[in-house]
Amino acid sequence: MNEHSITATEEQEKWLADAQNVVKQQSFYMRKALDSSNLREALKYSAQMLVELRTSKLSPQKYYELYMQTFDELRHLEAFFQEESKRGRSNADLYELVQHAGNILPRLYLLITVGSVYIRSKEAPAKDILKDLVEMSRGVQHPIRGLFLRSYLSQISKDKLPDTGSDYEGEGGTIHDAVEFVLQNFTEMNKLWVRMQHQGSAKDKADREKREKERSELRDLVGKNLLVLSQLEGVDLELYKSTVLPRVLEQVVNCKDEIAQGYLMDCIIQVFPDEYHLQTLETLLAACPQLQPKVDIKSTMAGLMERLANYAAANSQVLSVFAEVEAFEKLSTAVATVVEAQVDMPLVSAVSLHVALLNFVLRCHADRLDYVDSVLGSCVKMLAGQGKIREAKSVKAIVALLSEPLAQYGDVVTVLQLGHYGQLMATLEFETNKVMAVLVIQSILKNGTRIGDCARVEALFQLLQELIRDGEDAPPVDQLDQEDFAEEQNLVARLLHVLVNDDPEEQFKILSAARKQFGLGGPRRLVFTLPPLVVESLKLVRRLQARGEVEEGGVTPKKVFQFLHQTVEALANVPAPELAFRLYLLCAEAASDCDLEPIAYEFFTQAFILYEEDIADSKAQVTALQLMTGTLQRTVVFGTENRDTLTHKATGYSAKLLKKPDQCRAVYNCSHLFWQDQEKGTRDGERVLLCLKRALRIANAAQQQANATRGSGGPVTLFVEILNKYLYHFDKGNQQVTTTVLQGLLELISTEVNSESAVQDPATEAFYASTLKHISFQKQKGGEAGDRYEAIKVQ
Amino acid sequence: MSGRKRTLLKVIILGDSGVGKTSLMNQYVNKKFSNQYKATIGADFLTKEVQVDDRLVTMQLWDTAGQERFQSLGVAFYRGADCCVLVYDVNVNKTFDNLDNWREEFLIQASPSDPENFPFVVLGNKVDVDGGNSRVVSEKKAKAWSASKGNIPYFETSAKEDYNVDAAFQIIAKNALKNETEEEIYLPDTIDVNAQRPQKSSGCEC
Ligand SMILES: Nc1nc2c(ncn2[C@@H]2O[C@H](COP(=O)(O)OP(=O)(O)OP(=O)(O)O)[C@@H](O)[C@H]2O)c(=O)[nH]1
Ligand SMILES: [Mg+2]
Repeated sequence: MNEHSITATEEQEKWLADAQNVVKQQSFYMRKALDSSNLREALKYSAQMLVELRTSKLSPQKYYELYMQTFDELRHLEAFFQEESKRGRSNADLYELVQHAGNILPRLYLLITVGSVYIRSKEAPAKDILKDLVEMSRGVQHPIRGLFLRSYLSQISKDKLPDTGSDYEGEGGTIHDAVEFVLQNFTEMNKLWVRMQHQGSAKDKADREKREKERSELRDLVGKNLLVLSQLEGVDLELYKSTVLPRVLEQVVNCKDEIAQGYLMDCIIQVFPDEYHLQTLETLLAACPQLQPKVDIKSTMAGLMERLANYAAANSQVLSVFAEVEAFEKLSTAVATVVEAQVDMPLVSAVSLHVALLNFVLRCHADRLDYVDSVLGSCVKMLAGQGKIREAKSVKAIVALLSEPLAQYGDVVTVLQLGHYGQLMATLEFETNKVMAVLVIQSILKNGTRIGDCARVEALFQLLQELIRDGEDAPPVDQLDQEDFAEEQNLVARLLHVLVNDDPEEQFKILSAARKQFGLGGPRRLVFTLPPLVVESLKLVRRLQARGEVEEGGVTPKKVFQFLHQTVEALANVPAPELAFRLYLLCAEAASDCDLEPIAYEFFTQAFILYEEDIADSKAQVTALQLMTGTLQRTVVFGTENRDTLTHKATGYSAKLLKKPDQCRAVYNCSHLFWQDQEKGTRDGERVLLCLKRALRIANAAQQQANATRGSGGPVTLFVEILNKYLYHFDKGNQQVTTTVLQGLLELISTEVNSESAVQDPATEAFYASTLKHISFQKQKGGEAGDRYEAIKVQ
Repeated sequence: MSGRKRTLLKVIILGDSGVGKTSLMNQYVNKKFSNQYKATIGADFLTKEVQVDDRLVTMQLWDTAGQERFQSLGVAFYRGADCCVLVYDVNVNKTFDNLDNWREEFLIQASPSDPENFPFVVLGNKVDVDGGNSRVVSEKKAKAWSASKGNIPYFETSAKEDYNVDAAFQIIAKNALKNETEEEIYLPDTIDVNAQRPQKSSGCEC
């Protein structure tokens, strides 16, 4: 194949070189004859030169090279004719004379060359000569030869048409003659060009491909006629509308050739000015559905829309014309009609047409959301009954339809006003739909959009369905990529923080709507989505608290706490006990801040139930109890009875932890539950001391246990830690913590540290040393603290 | 022989679609400008007689399609060019970036005998747009590029306001003329020479 094509190229080169050589040779003699003013000889050699153009061997591009060479040579001949004419030779005679050339192709080239001079001389009306030439050219029916001959005619006559305002207007004819001439030449050229398609075998693939390649190379010769028409001064909008466009379109539609139709439509759009297109949209668009099914009408129409959009972008004052001629409505109707008429149009083309239309709207009428929505709606309508769209290119086009408005407005709130947006998104299968949903969230987060209207929030959740719950189309959750899943759910979670409204009523509605949606997500999603909901609800509580009294039926902290209770309970049921435990405590503290004792108590109770029933891991228990004591310590809402119940439970559970050191630490931490710094806080020195003593006992037991199992006393860390707690309470002024007690503890530790079985541990030693240093420091400080520390002796 | 021989200079105008090639030519040759865009299809020339120093020469100015799809017959007309004009739009970066491609493509296709010294001229067009406020390619940058490609003369133009157009084409004509090589003299092969030449050249026609 490759080898074959190389030979073919070489062959072409050779044929061309041979022909060019002959042209050089003959033109040499032609010029010599011209130099000696020998007309007869000159005609003879020029005819012999032109004979080379009769070849059928050259490809269009090679033929073009040969044509250009002869074209240049013919200029010498033309100049000579011009001089002859000046010298008084009648052009009519010359015109007659060249007709004696034996062969038709050279004869016609010569005739056109003389014709050029003849017209210029004005010895006969331009229109008559032109008409004659265009008629005579019918004599060449070989496509390539005919096309070049006629393009010669077109090139030579371009500046000699009886155009409005030209030298040849009047006697020479009118703009109508000019138009008629160009249209006729165009029509004939198009026919020649189309006829090529039917030469040779339609079945032989290689043959057909070669032919189509040749046709494609020749197309500019045909298209150029349209450019000539567009350059005529006299072709004003009126004439364009009444004659030029209808006639051109008639030829385009009637030729029924897909290559010609696609290309010529493109040419029309590109060579005629925007103003004309705007004023003739209907006519131009009406041709579209009539074209052959295989024409890439999508690209053509997209080209038109792009051109008009560029026009509008560069001249904002023309937008009123767009509105006046109802450009959008017409384009929109045309898109629908084309899609309907061309039943075999690939789906991707149909969707792409909508993309082009959308781009048109976004560039020309960005403020018309109704237009944008109508484009989406039209696409939805077209896709109806197709189920989920899976073909990759179509999917990509749909994604483009959905992404463009997002990019344009950078504001999901605007996009949410597009009623068909969600419906269009719903045509995407699961994976792509999700990608799109993620894009929506990212756009919100990136642009810092706030959505504070419950209806909008609901519409938004509608778009995000595939992320929020298991759709019909979705694979089971456990088959999803876990990392992706987590990332997506985190995005949904972050979304919650932008769903805010200053009005607490609306805010509560939003949270309730979110709760309802998230509720559909199943346990795997709840662990991501409910915690931020709790956080946002607590923020609302704080706002309500600041607001104070509300009117009847309004949202109250109590109502929100009920909501919170349910929400956390749902998490507990997932089950996600540790998470729920933590959130219960957050709620409890908030309720306490609101002075709602029963509610705070209920949250603590729920937390304890979870602890008892569902938190079994020992490490988790340690953490949970730390949180619990911390929260309880900060809570001052409780009366004695409730407080006793809760602290009792907390110390009880602390003492029951699995490992002795954990027990010890949890218990000494409980000492804080009985000595609160807050104004209303409990201060029960005795129970503080009880806790500390209990911790000490546990530390002893731990030490013994260590002795028994490892034969060594283990580090004295726990003792040092307890000492620090004692000192803490001593500093706080707890009378129960006396210097005697402290002294005893100090001695105990010193014995332990110096015992033979003691294990060396640098960290503990440092800790111990710094504790002692603290005591010495206090002693030296003097004043009230110095007095108190006075009695303590440190070795 | 000298009586008929006129100096014909072939000039090719290249550049992206929409930069104003057709407009520049129209302004120069016909003193006309239109805001309407009409895509050029294929290639075509206009001629213009100009005086360069003391000589009257004919310039054949080839306008080309910037849109590739409208250049289906190829670029055979590059051959024999005496000067190549590269046009870009000072308001569109891409059109400037593409000058390199246009230049390369021209040198490959036209294959001039001395590519190093082949005369190019660069035109930065549409300097009028928005009072120069929307311009994105600076004169300095364009000059630097032109200088780096063998000291190509550079002009800032506006086809719309007829700014610098004549001046630019004057230099184009001048440089084309400098480059103009004697058209290779065709010598028919020996047999023909023997057959034809003697009879012709024998008689003195002066
Ligand atoms: N403001 C302004 N507009 C210009 C200027 N030159 C050209 N234009 C406009 O730019 C658009 C394109 O100009 P053309 O001359 O058709 O561009 P081109 O390079 O020939 O384009 P192709 O034929 O597609 O390669 C037209 O609308 C012109 O009116 C200029 O100097 N200033
Ligand atoms: Mg052009």
